[in-house]
Amino acid sequence: MDRTSCSAAISTLDHSERELRSLRCGSETEIAKVGAEFEELARLTDSILHLAVEVIGGIETDTVRSILPNVQSLGGAARKFIEDKLEEAARILDTVKAESTLLGRLSQLTHEQRSIARETNTLGVLTKIEVARLGQVGRGFEYLAHQLDDFSQSVVANTAELAQHTDERRTAIDETMRGLGAELPRVRVEFAQLEGELDTVLSETGSRLQSFFEAPAALRNCVEGLASQISGVVAAIQSHDITRQQVEHVQEAMRLIAEKIQQDDGSDRNAANGRSWVAGGLVIQSYQLKSIQQTVGAWVSQIRRCMDGIMSISSAELKGIGPMVLQQQRQLSQQLLQIEALERKCESDAAKIEEALTGLSALTQLVGEHLKRSRLVRDRLQLLTFNSIIEASSLGAKADGILEISQSIKRISASWGELTDRSEKANEEILTLVEDSRAQMRTGSENDLRTAQTGIEAGLEGLARAAALTAGQAPEIDRFIGRLQAKIVEVGAAGDRLDTCFARIGAVLNELEQLRRQYESEAPAALAGSIKQNIEAVFSASYTTESEREILRAALLGAPLPAAQQNLAGNDVELF
Amino acid sequence: MASILTVDDSSSVRQMVSFTLRKAGYEVVEAVDGKDGLAKASQSKANLIITDLNMPNMDGIEMITAIRTLPGYSFTPILMLTTESQPEKKEAGRKAGATGWIVKPFNTDQLIAVVQKLVR
Repeated sequence: MDRTSCSAAISTLDHSERELRSLRCGSETEIAKVGAEFEELARLTDSILHLAVEVIGGIETDTVRSILPNVQSLGGAARKFIEDKLEEAARILDTVKAESTLLGRLSQLTHEQRSIARETNTLGVLTKIEVARLGQVGRGFEYLAHQLDDFSQSVVANTAELAQHTDERRTAIDETMRGLGAELPRVRVEFAQLEGELDTVLSETGSRLQSFFEAPAALRNCVEGLASQISGVVAAIQSHDITRQQVEHVQEAMRLIAEKIQQDDGSDRNAANGRSWVAGGLVIQSYQLKSIQQTVGAWVSQIRRCMDGIMSISSAELKGIGPMVLQQQRQLSQQLLQIEALERKCESDAAKIEEALTGLSALTQLVGEHLKRSRLVRDRLQLLTFNSIIEASSLGAKADGILEISQSIKRISASWGELTDRSEKANEEILTLVEDSRAQMRTGSENDLRTAQTGIEAGLEGLARAAALTAGQAPEIDRFIGRLQAKIVEVGAAGDRLDTCFARIGAVLNELEQLRRQYESEAPAALAGSIKQNIEAVFSASYTTESEREILRAALLGAPLPAAQQNLAGNDVELF
Repeated sequence: MASILTVDDSSSVRQMVSFTLRKAGYEVVEAVDGKDGLAKASQSKANLIITDLNMPNMDGIEMITAIRTLPGYSFTPILMLTTESQPEKKEAGRKAGATGWIVKPFNTDQLIAVVQKLVR
């Protein structure tokens, strides 16, 4: 190479070195500015995170968390309660109808007993006539006449009392039956309406509570994602220290290469080796500069990712959810009041039915006592029939009238026995129905409904507090997000400035590449082993990082440039 | 409030260390090289020192050696924050009296956790 070419090469290297020096100084300032901007971003994300964590703390309590499953179970419990109550009302109505019918039967039997009593009374009169007709002989039948008289009087008195009670109970049961019958269709409509409203409110509440639980956590995750991106930029800024050293080392290398060109004494052998050395040195510097370009590209990408992260943060859902949940909480309270009213209504109906059933129980007791007496009467009648038939038979034809009366008493006794049995059966049936009615009124759905209600009531206050806290913090979060998003232009500009600042590397690289090609064209094709070793020793002496040494090795081997290993998560501390 | 001395010739690294540790509630004093670091450590007691290795005027190893002779600095934790990762360099740092080694860039959460543990 002639002197002019050497001078031109030295001038190029000198120019490149000055460009890199200028870049190094300028980049220091730019990086400091980026650092300051990202410090502010980190402060803002910290503030948002702090508020989001406060909101989450308000929501993430056991009492508030328990509301959602309780709301879900309330729906099921209320539906079951309503279904049970409707079914129960229908069943009780059927039972009450059956009770009314049985009471009618019982009343009929009582009337029949009264007609028997009247018949007995007639027989008593006829017996007295026969006793008078028989004179002294018929004195033995006076007791029969007296007994028949006594029997008819006591039966009349007993049946009158029983008939009165039976009629009273029948009236009460009929009233209950009419009341239930008239109320059932209305209750069906009311229940259906309540069920519909409850379904709507609970479904809305469920989905809003779900959003309420998810929105702050989603915001926190989003902001944490951004904070992590910002940490990446913080790591990138620290990496600038490595890049700065790399630039310094390239500058130093340029001075060394310029010195080597200067030493070119023109002798053929030295000139060839020197050109090889210069070409090899320039290859290394090209690799180093390309690596810096890669690193800066990764920083700018990281900054752009932060911009995307900033734009993806939104407090819209959080802003709306607080007031919405508060409104839902009020609606839910309203529904709970309606359910309570429904429960009270059901309790009042049950009390009325219970009253009617208590009356029936009392009646069955009375009937039971009446039946006991009826059985005694039947036994007495049977005994009277037996005695009077024996007595009449001993008197022969004179006592035919009495015999006739005795046969009538026998028939009446049989009828009486039959009536008593039928009354007993009716009474037993009524007792069974009363028990059935009581059993039908004891469903478990009340307990499930009450458990769900209690669970919701316990959580409602906490929910209102959490919703109020969310509603109160949302505007503050929104303000911070606004401030964060207002920074987007500055952040974008920071990336652009870094791009511009390091764009000089491209120009320097072009100059060096041109020079390298020039030297390579005049140097032997393969780099001699001794020259390679010398180059490695000279340049690696200043390399303090593993990445620079890797690049050097790749350059000397002609291998592809190692991918920039940007550790944006940062390295751990190794304690000795 | 515990005081931490950060020594680095790179202003951006000092900036990031200061920002990270101030956010975690520490008072941070900055020094631009080993000589400045030694002077600042003499002026006021630091509870922990984070220093670079390669710096003009006085490097990190020289500074640690000098600081260890200062009264009250025998057991003060000193972390080296450097671009270097060679075992021989680490060994030199350990021999000079460093407590730990971090290859730049540092992981912010981990740095805070270690500082909290050492300063406690």
